[in-house]
Amino acid sequence: MIDLEDLTKVFPGTAAPAVDQLTLHIERGEIAVFVGPSGCGKTTTLKMINRLVEPTSGTIRIDGRSVESVPVHELRREIGYVIQQIGLFPHRTIRQNMATVPGLLNWDKQRTAERVDELAELVALDPDMLDRYPPELSGGQRQRVGVARALAADPPVLLMDEPFGAVDPIIRAHLQDELLDLQKRLRKTIALVTHDIDEAIKMGDRVAILSEGGHLEQYGAPADILRDPANAFVADFLGTDRGIKRLSLIPISDLDLETGPVVDRSATHAEAVAVALEYGTEWIAVRDSVGVNGWIRIADVPSSGPAAVDTEPFQTRLTTNSTLKEALDAIVSSHTSVAAVFDGSELLGMITAGAVSREILR
Amino acid sequence: MIVFVQATGGFFSWEWVVNHLDDIWDRTVQHLMLTAIAIAIGIVISLALSVVALRFRWTYAPITWFTGILYTIPSLALFAFLVPVTGLSVLTAEIGLVSYTLLILIRNMVAGIDGVPPATVESARGMGYTDRGLFFAVELPLALPVIIAGVRIASVTTIGLVTITALIGQGGLGFFILRGLNLFYSPVGTTQIVVGTVVSVALAVAVDLSLVGVERLATPWSRRRATA
Repeated sequence: MIDLEDLTKVFPGTAAPAVDQLTLHIERGEIAVFVGPSGCGKTTTLKMINRLVEPTSGTIRIDGRSVESVPVHELRREIGYVIQQIGLFPHRTIRQNMATVPGLLNWDKQRTAERVDELAELVALDPDMLDRYPPELSGGQRQRVGVARALAADPPVLLMDEPFGAVDPIIRAHLQDELLDLQKRLRKTIALVTHDIDEAIKMGDRVAILSEGGHLEQYGAPADILRDPANAFVADFLGTDRGIKRLSLIPISDLDLETGPVVDRSATHAEAVAVALEYGTEWIAVRDSVGVNGWIRIADVPSSGPAAVDTEPFQTRLTTNSTLKEALDAIVSSHTSVAAVFDGSELLGMITAGAVSREILR
Repeated sequence: MIVFVQATGGFFSWEWVVNHLDDIWDRTVQHLMLTAIAIAIGIVISLALSVVALRFRWTYAPITWFTGILYTIPSLALFAFLVPVTGLSVLTAEIGLVSYTLLILIRNMVAGIDGVPPATVESARGMGYTDRGLFFAVELPLALPVIIAGVRIASVTTIGLVTITALIGQGGLGFFILRGLNLFYSPVGTTQIVVGTVVSVALAVAVDLSLVGVERLATPWSRRRATA
């Protein structure tokens, strides 16, 4: 879908190239992540794709067509672009921001309005937000709007420059999940730049590791790179916890979840104890009319059963998008020593430490 | 002065004011017209020069240098130089008035557009705005508060300067001030000086306030405060 060939950029006034003879192919519908230390030319490479930076030599083709074959503003209208600072227009409402590219393409009013509503739904943005101005939104909401705006005219290609760099780690993880979820449905061809190797491993179908001066050190699927780093630079960049990082590539959906010690609100004391014994736990999870929302120590269950007791919430609620790494983290940091996996409010099941090690050894 | 007031029996004549309301109105309108034309032409010229300065950065220094010199020429001298060429005309008045607006307007326009966040500009380019589209749809609106701040200063300055143009037969309310001075502080003279001054100051305040209103209407986004 995107072909970079012998791409070189030497900025005026500098001797060393920022990007040096880079050749790389991005498959249609895949996320390719460019990662490396600062000064490795990853952002420069990205900006050459939509010609915000003009290459010194080499070619870029999208769908076999050179990016230089169309006027630059037309090229950019067909490529979604998301940057770290998002760059929403502060003088326009969220709705107007999202309608930017449709506006440039002269869509009629109704089509644009319908598309904006569709986009708000796509990125899970409260429609009440649409008539506000960007400074009135939180960082996470602004980032969603940035993605929605980039997707407005349904471009086949999306360029993302540190798209989650400006939000705090919790929201970042959440937005990463959302993007992966979105990508499952939309199948865009995405080039994403980050300095965070964990983000690269999590987001990338393929990861390009660049070293200073824009040298491509390795390009491949994250699992392959982690298993078999091409050289010392790559191994060093991946870090000493390469093994643990591999955990982040195994999705929870690969595991068979255990039901776990779950009893109904209406259960008797004896039933609760029996379930706890069966699973060898000192606690039970309690199911009430809205689903499973928490757990109780078996010692705290009164003789009348769990009906009247307040439950402790699960510290971490994983989803099927979560990875074994997150599961392991939930396990070691919870009182219950399990990771609870939810689909919305519905408990899908639990993962134990034993299940994690069985999966690694497999 | 006190002796003088005693000798002439008061220094302000309400009777003169009441008898000359039409006259005062006409001169006020003339004053506003001279100001409005100067500001309008000043904005057009400044916008053009600002675009040049922003596009070719090296021209910014000479442009501010040149308009700075215009700004420092004493107005009296400027009109004296112009009269032999363009006569005692509105044109002479406007050449002077416009000259004095340029430095303020250009500085604020360039500063306003320089103040647009780089990320906003980059994302606009990345989405496919042309240079022209970027300027009119993004940079100019975002620079508006700073530009209007410049227009306010230029307007107030110009309203004051218009009175000087009375010397070349224009002057708006300056006409009364000049005539008052020529009447050697008779009650009719001082009354005219006071009327010319007070209405001119009131005009400056009114124009300044209405420009604040214009800014609020033109930049609805800046009134909303961040909630998160």
